Amino acid sequence: MITRRVRYEVVSRALGPMLVAMEGWRRRLRGRGGGRAKRPFGPPLESTRKLKELTTLHYLAGRFADGAVPVAWVTSGFPVEVLRPLGFHTVYPENHGAICSVKRMVPELSEAAEREGYSRDLCGYARADLGSVATGKTPVGRLPMPDLLCCCTNICQTVLYWYRALAAHFRVPLVVIDTPFVYGEARPHLLAYVADQLRELTVTAERVAGRKVDRAALAETMRLAREGTRLWDECLRAGCAHPSPWTGFDSFFHLAPIVAMRGTRECNAYYRMLRDELNDRVARGVSGIADERVRLLWDNLPIWFNLRDLSTVLAGNGFNIVCATYTNAWAEAGPMIDPADPEGSSARAYVHVLLNRDLPYKLSVMKRLCREYGATGAIFHSDRSCKPYSIGQIDLKGRLASEAGVKGLLLEADHADPRSWSEAQAYNRLHAFMELFA
Amino acid sequence: MRTATILSEKMLGHKTVVVLPVHYPRELFTAMDVHTVELWGPPGPPRGPDAGRIQPYACAVVRNALAFLASGGADAADAVLFPHTCDSIQGLATLAPDFGGWGKPALRYLHPKGQDGPAARAFVRAELAHLADRLAELTGRPLAIPRLAAAIELHARIDRLRGAFLSRRAFLDMADPALYRLLRRGEFLGPGDHLAELAVAARGLGEVRVQRGVPLMVTGYVPEPMTLFDSLASAGSFVAADDYAAVGRRVPLSPPADGGDPLDMLAAKAFTMPPCPTRGGDQDVRMAYLETLYRRSGSAGLIVHVQKFCEPELFDVPAIRRRFARIGAPMLYLEGELENSLSGQVVTRLEAFVEMVGAGRKAP
Ligand code: SF4
Ligand code: SF4
Repeated sequence: MITRRVRYEVVSRALGPMLVAMEGWRRRLRGRGGGRAKRPFGPPLESTRKLKELTTLHYLAGRFADGAVPVAWVTSGFPVEVLRPLGFHTVYPENHGAICSVKRMVPELSEAAEREGYSRDLCGYARADLGSVATGKTPVGRLPMPDLLCCCTNICQTVLYWYRALAAHFRVPLVVIDTPFVYGEARPHLLAYVADQLRELTVTAERVAGRKVDRAALAETMRLAREGTRLWDECLRAGCAHPSPWTGFDSFFHLAPIVAMRGTRECNAYYRMLRDELNDRVARGVSGIADERVRLLWDNLPIWFNLRDLSTVLAGNGFNIVCATYTNAWAEAGPMIDPADPEGSSARAYVHVLLNRDLPYKLSVMKRLCREYGATGAIFHSDRSCKPYSIGQIDLKGRLASEAGVKGLLLEADHADPRSWSEAQAYNRLHAFMELFA
Repeated sequence: MRTATILSEKMLGHKTVVVLPVHYPRELFTAMDVHTVELWGPPGPPRGPDAGRIQPYACAVVRNALAFLASGGADAADAVLFPHTCDSIQGLATLAPDFGGWGKPALRYLHPKGQDGPAARAFVRAELAHLADRLAELTGRPLAIPRLAAAIELHARIDRLRGAFLSRRAFLDMADPALYRLLRRGEFLGPGDHLAELAVAARGLGEVRVQRGVPLMVTGYVPEPMTLFDSLASAGSFVAADDYAAVGRRVPLSPPADGGDPLDMLAAKAFTMPPCPTRGGDQDVRMAYLETLYRRSGSAGLIVHVQKFCEPELFDVPAIRRRFARIGAPMLYLEGELENSLSGQVVTRLEAFVEMVGAGRKAP
């Protein structure tokens, strides 16, 4: 245990940062002059290098985490703050699923899950994760085994079924923070229920970690989480500028720290750097795409395996995704977090996330984003393996058009699995949509 | 049939609430003289174009339900209740009332998904009280606690009989198609009428084993199409153990505790039900429960009968496969989309399965 702990600390604090820095230099040397714009895009963001370093370091440290520090596997919307002062290393299977998709590993992993009996109709992240658990295959080297599974139903109930299966596999405790769906505003008994569960979570997490939560450290984590979401919001809002200094596709990647490192100094330092770079680009009129003509909203998860092609086609025609309900979701509820009331304010913040709220609320968010970011069109990714995000999109598209004059396209795909992606059909529809703006 | 019941309840001055699957506190409705009619789809092709407002990769239950509501199929009712069953019903619960399809009151029942504990119990109780308030708005009468106590008692008698039919299936002199029609009439009959029918059927429950076919266990969502039971019966088998969400999983494992505050008793009932993935809970506990049910019923094979795209059920399928493979139980997997009848291919698979299971077992 002690040697593993030392190894983990050395990797995460000294050796790891050194290795990723060296890799960064090597890449810079190799790609000397690569900071120039590659049409149809604007110049690449400098911060992307730092993002790669952060992500690499996180997954590198993870390889040595189990047996050294407590490890929790956590859903993206889980109130993770309480785990930080207890020293948990957190793994986000959804983030890992996105990496698997970008690396085009999902078909292989999903087939492994399907061999175990999981249906191909289930969430692509879940299939990728369960396939990775079954085979040990992952693009990140190795994932540490969990001591605790933490699942919050504020993004979907699918995570509940998925994590029940993980709990049966790993034979470790599963904490469920059940956040009943909010129609209108959350009623007091609902908030009290979630706050009570957060107190119960603390007891379980303390037992697994073998120590008590330091309340001052928890308050500091809460403060960092609130600040982090504010910084992320400032990054996103840079996209209100005309032209936008980046693209929505960039923002999908830069979302990773606020999802997986929320409540840490590294996360906030990173977003300060990104915000400053974006604001500097705005001041200098540097655009995310070479020739921004039409500004769009994106709804639902990204199509991770096809981001490059899709963004190239859009940018090549002067279309820029300037805002997304998905990235905005992590900026929305942060202001509700209050370091003086960790449980009560977390309950409020984590219950009121986009995916846990009714369709009129979603429509109001879309209208506001279109207004503030100047988007005149919207792409609704109809995601066959994410039902909670997709049900209602057909009506939302119609209402956004009739009530806000925003033209919409429903694009059938899957956020993780390319097997159900019909490229020719999708691009035909996309081109027809773009012609509407001619 | 369901519409006819609504109309006859209306003549009695009762309000009717259409209820989406699966779990809801029926006792509360009975106590407030509100008639409930469950809407499992309905089966068959969608009854109107509104199904197209939900993508085809969502289950037939929600797509058909939206089409049915939007086409006026439930207009005789006064409200719809959407239990907090899954992501898809949750989506429907805002789509139909907020964006069109259902213009009358929409009620929601949010049951907990986590572990049993003080927080979950307090939450259910508060949800029940909130639902009672909404029903009071509908009927113009507040909940009378003594009437709730009586309703709990009435439903406990219904549950006892339904439980007896299912747990002592081999001793009930009734074929599966008739039994399932009887049990499913509880989805729309008034509780008094349903109890009367059950009581008559209970005369066929004896001490001597009367079912001689190949005993099978079924786990799944809803027994649609009902012709499944005709096919099983003509292949020479019967359902010895039932774990359908619509049927067996709604019979509590223990009777209500005596006395106490009726709202507390009703809240406690939520935690005495058989494991159901739509309520969350430990997967191992569910697998152990299924294995016990299988062994106790003397079943010789298992049919897993789920709805396509149904995440709650589908995530448990691998664990069911593993568990039943370990005990050497033959298993047949069926996936449906609320068709009106079984395809010839499925009937052939069922017959072959029954034949295979029957050949490998000793007669009881
Ligand atoms: S992609 Fe959708 S279904 Fe999958 S975990 Fe995320 S919200 Fe849930
Ligand atoms: S069939 Fe499954 S997914 Fe569909 S409504 Fe029922 S529980 Fe939900």
